[in-house]
Amino acid sequence: MSSNKENFSQISPSEFFYRNRDLAGFSNPTRSLYAAVREFVENSLDACDQEGILPDVQLLIKAVDPEKPDPKPYILTVKDNGPGIESKHVPLAFGTVLYGSKFGLKQARGMFGLGATMAILYGQITTNKPVRVKSSTDGIIQEEYELLLDIQKNKPVILKHKTNQVSKKGLSISICLEGDYSKAGSKIRDYVYQTSLITPYATITFDDPKGERFRYSRIIKTMPKPPTTIKPHPYGVDVETIRRMIADTSFTIPRVDDIMIEKVRKELGLSKKNLNFTEIMLKAKKRWKTLTRQVRVVIAMMSFIKMDFDKLSKIRIDDIDVSNQKLTYWDFGKSQSIVIDMDPTSDYYKQLANTVQGETLVTFLNKRFQRVGRITAEKFVKFAGFKPEIRLGNMTNQQLAKLSDSLQKFDDFMSPDPGCLAPLGEEPLEKGIQQFFNPDFLAVIQRSASAYSGFPFVVEMGIAYGGDISSRGSKVYRFANRIPLLYDEGSDVVLKVVNEIDWKRYKVNPDSPLVIVSHICSTRIPYKTVGKENVADRLEIERELRLALQFILRKIQIFMNKRGQAEMAKKRANLYSKYLPLIAQFCTELAGKKKEPDYKKMLKEEVTIDESQSQKQEILITKEVQKEEEIVVEKVKETK
Amino acid sequence: MKKSKKQSSTSAKEKHNSLIESLKNYGSQIYYDLDKGEYPKFSIPSRSVSNIVYDQKLRQYVLGKNAAIRSAKNTSQLRSFTQLTWLAFFANRLTKQKKSSTLRDVYYSSQAFAIDFEDQGESDNIIVDLEAVLSKPREDFHIFPEERSSVFGDLDIEYTVPGYEGKKMNLSNHPDGYAIGPSLTSAELVGTSAEIVIAVEKGGLFTRFIEEQVDKKFKAIIVDTGGQAPRSTRTLLKRLHDELGLPVIILTDGDVYGEHIAMVIKSGSANAAHLRELTVPDAKWVGVWATDIEKYKLPTIPMTETDIKRCHDLQKDPRYQKGIWKTELEKFLELKRKAELEAFSKYGLTNITDKYLPQKLELAKSL
Repeated sequence: MSSNKENFSQISPSEFFYRNRDLAGFSNPTRSLYAAVREFVENSLDACDQEGILPDVQLLIKAVDPEKPDPKPYILTVKDNGPGIESKHVPLAFGTVLYGSKFGLKQARGMFGLGATMAILYGQITTNKPVRVKSSTDGIIQEEYELLLDIQKNKPVILKHKTNQVSKKGLSISICLEGDYSKAGSKIRDYVYQTSLITPYATITFDDPKGERFRYSRIIKTMPKPPTTIKPHPYGVDVETIRRMIADTSFTIPRVDDIMIEKVRKELGLSKKNLNFTEIMLKAKKRWKTLTRQVRVVIAMMSFIKMDFDKLSKIRIDDIDVSNQKLTYWDFGKSQSIVIDMDPTSDYYKQLANTVQGETLVTFLNKRFQRVGRITAEKFVKFAGFKPEIRLGNMTNQQLAKLSDSLQKFDDFMSPDPGCLAPLGEEPLEKGIQQFFNPDFLAVIQRSASAYSGFPFVVEMGIAYGGDISSRGSKVYRFANRIPLLYDEGSDVVLKVVNEIDWKRYKVNPDSPLVIVSHICSTRIPYKTVGKENVADRLEIERELRLALQFILRKIQIFMNKRGQAEMAKKRANLYSKYLPLIAQFCTELAGKKKEPDYKKMLKEEVTIDESQSQKQEILITKEVQKEEEIVVEKVKETK
Repeated sequence: MKKSKKQSSTSAKEKHNSLIESLKNYGSQIYYDLDKGEYPKFSIPSRSVSNIVYDQKLRQYVLGKNAAIRSAKNTSQLRSFTQLTWLAFFANRLTKQKKSSTLRDVYYSSQAFAIDFEDQGESDNIIVDLEAVLSKPREDFHIFPEERSSVFGDLDIEYTVPGYEGKKMNLSNHPDGYAIGPSLTSAELVGTSAEIVIAVEKGGLFTRFIEEQVDKKFKAIIVDTGGQAPRSTRTLLKRLHDELGLPVIILTDGDVYGEHIAMVIKSGSANAAHLRELTVPDAKWVGVWATDIEKYKLPTIPMTETDIKRCHDLQKDPRYQKGIWKTELEKFLELKRKAELEAFSKYGLTNITDKYLPQKLELAKSL
């Protein structure tokens, strides 16, 4: 007997994440506390964004026993004024892994709502305390739950459920988890600070375990429009995605049983009435437009086997061979298999073919992808070397691979639809930076949308100089989909672009007090690691970042120039008024005169020069940098 | 019989008057520009290395044709423009009041007029600028360097400085010699019985020469240049030569620096290429030559790297391309050793005056 018999068993998603919690950023008490804060705050902000509610988010961290040394249990509470979650969804949303509403393709801070459950899971593992969720969707009644997660079964265990009277909508989540605030504190404060910078339309309050309160009030009252869910772009799918999309759209031949027959009769309005075959067909033709797909398929089959409902109930359809135009059925009465021919010119034949073989490739592309018209789809099919009439159901694995391959290579697809993106916008960004840094100079830019590998993205950037900024050199704040990226900045593409800038070209002293705020929005941010802390250097993103940075640097260069000129003019005037009187005094004695020369008018003239010069320079700089941008564009084209 | 002053040469008084005139012109130009509401400017010969050329005819370095515009309009020049105008103003007062000032005095005096020189280097530089603008050495406008050199011999002078006007003096009355200062430089040279001027590089030898009565034995005026001859000394040497018609011979240490001290007296330095009245083209260098080191079996010291480099540098100078200047320089490089004037003491303290000097004076006649 084999003694090493292996035990294959399926594990639940909860179990999987429990075993791999490092992946989601819950590797140690420091990181976990920070990650939990992030997940809850981001969920709250996402929920508010989605519903167009100006967010009020309260974050509270409290030590269970303040006297104990770190790491120790903390109670983490996040409260928002969002839409709340319907009572029936609460246990599933917070008590199972992979339950969420974020599976579509759209811009959001979090993905799949996975992180929040991870945080709950982590809390439960480390402190064995339940999560407490309070939710009100109407602002009148609040549902309060205490839940534990059954890790093996991936199911919520409800410990307590009651309803309260409230006056506000919103969600409040409270977990108890092992954390290390002494180490995570500065990161969490940074996180809250930077989150409010990129979310100027939110009020965020943070009460830390030491009793200190950090409050960032709303700076603007307009919200960016909420992001929408979109279909995928041809560049953004791989073979597996295509396979899933096909499975999603395919339609199988319905079983013709009594229930189905009843449905057909109902749709034809023949529930009580028996008609013969010809009459049924006539009736169907009349009502064709109102019929469901399943019923249409049944009618189509009936047209070939030429039976009424009674006879139909005594057979079983076994096979529809579209390519050979054969239909096979089992006759219960005769106990034999019967094969009949189908007329390929019949409309019913086409209906069946469609159902069995799936949509044509052209229809598939046109219907299931964003921004692909029929003409483009036809062009593509030709480009990829497929027959125009090819149907998805008939495609081999090889052909699918070829399809996915060709999708990447076809140049004529329109760029992805950026409509689903929700960048912050130049004005809110500017106001946020203004409020935070009170700078001497500030410039922002929102680049127009671009795309990498089929995923649309938008780059926003701002620069601030002087004022309350006291750092030496530039400090870069990185954001992606409105979340701050705090760790691993060394390998980030934004830093790479910033570091490659030749400051001298923009007349900026590299030691100047500068703040650069970079925000990348995309339906999918190409993070380098699972921890979502640094963005990979995709060529297209790098290019957009560079152009954005060049634009704002050009602005700051003009500012520096103007300032330099103003200072220079002032300096000149000062110099003249200091030295000219001396020269006059000396030369009067040298020349043997008694009265000083009349030089005072010269001092007055000196003050009124300039202005026109600075404008000229502005135009010059703009031209110069635009040239530079063109060169970059050329280069990108070449490398493509 | 005493030789008296030649009629043709300019007297100290005439010099004084022409300077006052130049300063007035300079001031008037600025005055009228300002009065018209224009920023005053003037051109000043460029003193950059590329503009210093050797003039074969004049046998000295001169400035080329390049000139720079100094304008009060240009803010980067405004300060130095003001400084220069102040200096002209200051020089004008000094000259008119017949007072003298040292380079250091100038630096401090400026502070009374809110003219801020950062350091003496800056004020010294402006003084050179004024020299270039006026084509006159600073001693003409009564500004003197700190360093002093001395003169001794039968020479009658008449002071022109305030308080001493008309007072006469014979420069052999004090055995330590007379410092060549502002009053001596501006004095009229009345007459002498001397027939030659001997310039020596070192104070020690100057004293020895006086002790050994070289002035009487050889009918000489002895001048101590104190190393590289200051401008006032060079001016005096030139006046002794030009006004009293005395030949000038030079005795230096037997090394490349000594040779160049002699050359500067003879044909000036690149630093003073903007001035024309500091050279004695007929002056003769009589020793110590490199060839003398072997000839007189002098004790020597080896040349340093810097010495050798200096030799190579001078070999590129157009003035070292012929005659003893060329051959002696080559000999130094060959020997790679040098000898000081004091080296003669090996053969007795008076050896230099008893033996070497007479031979060299004889030789000078044929140079």
